[in-house]
Amino acid sequence: MPAAAAASRAGLPVLEAASLVRDYGPVRAVNQVSFRLGAGEFLSVFGPNGAGKTSLLRLLAGGLRPTSGEVRVSGIPLTVGDRAARARIGILSHLSFLYGRLTARENLRFYGRLHGLDDLDSRVPDRLADVGLERYADSPVDTLSRGTVQRLAVARALLHDPEIVLLDEPYTGLDAYAAAMLQELLSALKDGGRTVVMVTHNLGRGLEVADRVAIQVRGSFVFEAARTDLDAAGLERSYRRAVEGRA
Amino acid sequence: MSLARIRWMATVLGVLGVAGVLVLHWLVFFWVGTERTMGIVQRIFYVHVPSAWVTFLAFGITALCGAAYLWLRDERLDWAAQSAAEGGLIFGAIMLTSGPLWAAYAWGTPWTWEPRLTLTLLMWFVFVGYFLVRASAEDRQAGKRMAAVIGVLGALLIPLVHVSVLWFPSLHPQPVVLNVEEGPTLDGDMLITLMTGLLAFTLIFFSVFCLRYGLEHLRYQRALALREQPRAT
Amino acid sequence: MTVYLRQVAAIVRKDLLLEVRTGERLAAMGALTVLVAVLFHFAIDQGLVRMQLLAAGLIWMTILFGGMLGMGRTFEMEREQGAIQGLLTSPVPLDGIYLAKVVSNFVLVTLIEVVALAAYWLFFGFNYGNDPLLLAGVLGVATLGFVAVTTLFSAISAQTNMGQTLLPILIFPLLVPVVIFGVTATGRIFASRPVQEVEGSLYLLAAFTVVALTAGTILFRYVVEE
Repeated sequence: MPAAAAASRAGLPVLEAASLVRDYGPVRAVNQVSFRLGAGEFLSVFGPNGAGKTSLLRLLAGGLRPTSGEVRVSGIPLTVGDRAARARIGILSHLSFLYGRLTARENLRFYGRLHGLDDLDSRVPDRLADVGLERYADSPVDTLSRGTVQRLAVARALLHDPEIVLLDEPYTGLDAYAAAMLQELLSALKDGGRTVVMVTHNLGRGLEVADRVAIQVRGSFVFEAARTDLDAAGLERSYRRAVEGRA
Repeated sequence: MSLARIRWMATVLGVLGVAGVLVLHWLVFFWVGTERTMGIVQRIFYVHVPSAWVTFLAFGITALCGAAYLWLRDERLDWAAQSAAEGGLIFGAIMLTSGPLWAAYAWGTPWTWEPRLTLTLLMWFVFVGYFLVRASAEDRQAGKRMAAVIGVLGALLIPLVHVSVLWFPSLHPQPVVLNVEEGPTLDGDMLITLMTGLLAFTLIFFSVFCLRYGLEHLRYQRALALREQPRAT
Repeated sequence: MTVYLRQVAAIVRKDLLLEVRTGERLAAMGALTVLVAVLFHFAIDQGLVRMQLLAAGLIWMTILFGGMLGMGRTFEMEREQGAIQGLLTSPVPLDGIYLAKVVSNFVLVTLIEVVALAAYWLFFGFNYGNDPLLLAGVLGVATLGFVAVTTLFSAISAQTNMGQTLLPILIFPLLVPVVIFGVTATGRIFASRPVQEVEGSLYLLAAFTVVALTAGTILFRYVVEE
């Protein structure tokens, strides 16, 4: 962790949001959000339903065009429709994005082809091994448990070795054991030097893996802090204050 | 354009349009000569043709504003497209009821599969689809985009639909005003009446259009106000 | 370009693999096709009407309804577990996703057409004329246009709470050319008329297909973009 933090201080920001604003008609979902993340940095964004967390994530993924402001990946502005930039971003959600009737291997091979990878014969078994799923390689996904599917989804999100990983409520629907397993995989992301943004309701889990946290309410970041300045109780208090302060 | 300005325009256009319609009906009932072969029912023509014209105009505006909306994402373009589509739906309904009334008498059958009749019926259904998609979209923004796509695709495919329906033999009268070779074939009084109808219906359409557009504008402002309010308190 | 084609091929392959494995859409479409033919047998008094004269119309109506039934699920099946988001956030250009869906739907509808032709031949002994190549060409071109329009609109209906109920209202007004020229052309082929009598319809079908496919490729991004 200290190594990653040092790298980020030294190098260019990998992922940068500059005054991001997104309106849906008259509704402002994301309001003047700015941050810079270096390699190996992990940002957790908390907030109530409808705070604009998912919109923020979509903006970062280049799937939604900002009303104003921009997202920069390694200093280069990200434009919607820039499909090549997608190769540098991996997305993990509480939905697995996997096909139930295809096997674990077939799913990964499919996504590998979409990313234009050509070493799938070796890459897919390796990645299955990374998440401990070698023996499920040929099981259809709809025969696997929720936790196992989520591990496979991690392998899917990381298949193309993205520098940036975006996590959208990854703990939803997982039991305690599966969540702990996922927590381990997510911690490993940082050590791999990846830049991560996670949006979640889960204060405890979100704080545990993060280097930095932010609370988003009504579109804006109303609270930001480094992990080192904060404990679970402090975050809880700040969260309550931020959310209740919204009238 | 400010809301007050839109309202003012809607009122002026509306007053002129209603006056025009009153004049039109006076002309139709008391002034214009009776057409020799079709007799008295031919007078429906002065309502039917203007409503058809307005329907096509509305369809064009919806498609153009829809295309521009997809390009520029300016909410005002979506309001305009939607307002025009609603006008098109209403005037299309007038056209589709006045047409068969006339035809039942003049041709002895209320409905024929004549190209322009078929075309306008199908176009009317495209408008219906336009509003069904807007109303049932799970995401309002997506609904606006999808409606715009329907408008644009409709405008692209409708000419092809028209060409294909032309394949079939036709009963419908040939163009009587824009007949390039022989000039207008209508008598002077009929032409004046028709032109009055076209003008009056167009004015009414734009009046309704402005009212509808103003309503969307108002809704938008209200939503904006709701968004700002809690922060102020 | 080759990357693009490989991505499109990957989606087509995945769709067909899913179809082979579940048979969901194909089974429903095939069953509907045969059942419609059965109903037509009882719906039409064959003492009054010669079925052969209606052949082209009946077959096209069957194809439209059967095709629509299966194609309506094109994007609904992607929504389970959010796979559609996986596709949309992958590097595949959005028009590539559309074209892939058009290809896999085209395969499904073509299979349905074979089923329809077989069923009508079996039930009614229809005579399909003496130019199978021309028939295949006409069916292929018309089907591509039908699929191009329906695939785009199934992406629309999948994002509404009316779902597939909406689909016929959206597509039927625009599919009139496919019906007119499809029926005219196939009807003449069934009657073994000279090629010259079919050409005109075929060209207009081709024009429709080109416009529909181009428009769909361009407009699809506005339908699914978030």
